[in-house]
Amino acid sequence: MSEMGSVDDIKVEDLNLWYGEKQALYNVSMKIPKNSVTALIGPSGCGKSTFLRCINRMNDLIKGCRIEGKIHIDNKNIYDRDVDVVELRKNVGMVFQKPNPFPMSIYDNIAYGPKIHNVKKNEIAPIVEEALKGAALWKEVSDRMDTSALDLSGGQQQRLCIARTMAVKPEIILFDEPCSALDPISTNKIEDLILELKKDYTIVIVTHNMQQAARISDYTAYFLLGELIEFGETKQIFENPQEKSTEDYITGRFG
Amino acid sequence: MDAKTTEKFAFLTLKASILLVVSFVAILLAYIIIQGYEVLSIDFLTSMPKNRMTEGGIYPALMGTAYLVGLSIAIAVPLGVFSAIYLNEYATPTKSTWVIEMAINNLAGTPSVVFGLFGLALFVKFFDFGPSLLAASLTLALLILPVVIRASKEALITVPLEYREASLALGVTKWKTTRHIVLPAAVPGIVTGIILSIGRVAGETAPILFTGAAYFLPRLPDSVFSQFMALPYHLFVMATSGTNIAQTRPIQYGTALVLLMLVLAVNCLAIVIRKHYRNKLKR
Repeated sequence: MSEMGSVDDIKVEDLNLWYGEKQALYNVSMKIPKNSVTALIGPSGCGKSTFLRCINRMNDLIKGCRIEGKIHIDNKNIYDRDVDVVELRKNVGMVFQKPNPFPMSIYDNIAYGPKIHNVKKNEIAPIVEEALKGAALWKEVSDRMDTSALDLSGGQQQRLCIARTMAVKPEIILFDEPCSALDPISTNKIEDLILELKKDYTIVIVTHNMQQAARISDYTAYFLLGELIEFGETKQIFENPQEKSTEDYITGRFG
Repeated sequence: MDAKTTEKFAFLTLKASILLVVSFVAILLAYIIIQGYEVLSIDFLTSMPKNRMTEGGIYPALMGTAYLVGLSIAIAVPLGVFSAIYLNEYATPTKSTWVIEMAINNLAGTPSVVFGLFGLALFVKFFDFGPSLLAASLTLALLILPVVIRASKEALITVPLEYREASLALGVTKWKTTRHIVLPAAVPGIVTGIILSIGRVAGETAPILFTGAAYFLPRLPDSVFSQFMALPYHLFVMATSGTNIAQTRPIQYGTALVLLMLVLAVNCLAIVIRKHYRNKLKR
């Protein structure tokens, strides 16, 4: 993996965030390359999920949340006044910690996004199939597309949520601890999937699982108490961390 | 008392309470059925009252109540559901939303006769609708509005935040998220509110007393500006005025029975609808 030739997809500059009076992120800056997997690690409450939710502006929904700084995606600051948040979220998809399929059929779950975004009716079925294939779920569900998505197992539900995100055709997919509610086998499948997805998407993933970060990510960012302590290639972060605190966390001295 | 005796005592008290409640309902139902079933017939439901209400049927009162239910639900449900959506999905909790919610709660506790007088002043007099189906339905709609709003709001609150987040994260606007994800998931709760409302609309007497219910009107209303007969008021009239109370007694029980069965039937229907939606959501 060389830095050379990689194009930066997300550029974060001096990002500060407050929940009311309490500051949760301090001067975070980093450049996330295109078609890579970047893992955000750090102990609970370090701000990694908060940071992730800045990238698709989900924090806008939280009352009393104030953000300063810039995040450039495709050379456009997403916090500029003229940015349409709805368009931004089409481009930056998100998969949540707990699988959250809608209470409707498997087909309708995937078709929901394209339908709402006025995709022509005869183009929706191919999109649904493509998304399910992309999320490695097609073989398991192709014969029962009309059944409720809630009947699927947790791991299948999470892959369904990934497919649902893909159906809207984003460039970037954010994962907020996508495996924390899953068993090891399902986790394995999701990890394989993420490695597959990076060909087509830029991926940012929050994880509590150090091995997971080491297994699937190209870059790792270590957060502590709202500050970005260290950011670099995953290999370097795990084998040769520059900061004492990073090393302590990775070697399991705290966290 | 040792723990075991206390346990037994508590259990018996609870069981006795529910038995008492159930037996009250059972006795009430049995009494009305026994007293009323004899006059029940197709003819009773479809003919006009005759001979100073001592003979004949309850057709205009039955239809009047049906019109009242339909019209007031049609007015109150959209208004109530939209208000609940505003309060739960859009408004940020501030002092003014607190005042609004307090007002709604107080409205729910206002005696129905006050609604009747208010309807008389506003709809009958000020808007000059006269005593009419429209004025009475508007008054009843106001009466059930807090019930509809509260039930809808409770239903919206129980829709998991995850659904909203999932939809918004797909680049769907807030309104479309509400319309396509949140509202369908809230339908069972909203239907529960409507069930409760139908029972009230069909049974209330005071709000229609001043706003359009007729003492005796042996024909159907021909527009929303006509007066009408209604089951509860018909019952009240037969039971209190006139000198033929003894003669009208079987008709009174028959009317009570029909009113009861009407509300029961509508409730059953609503329960079926609610169950259908729940199954569609859960499974």
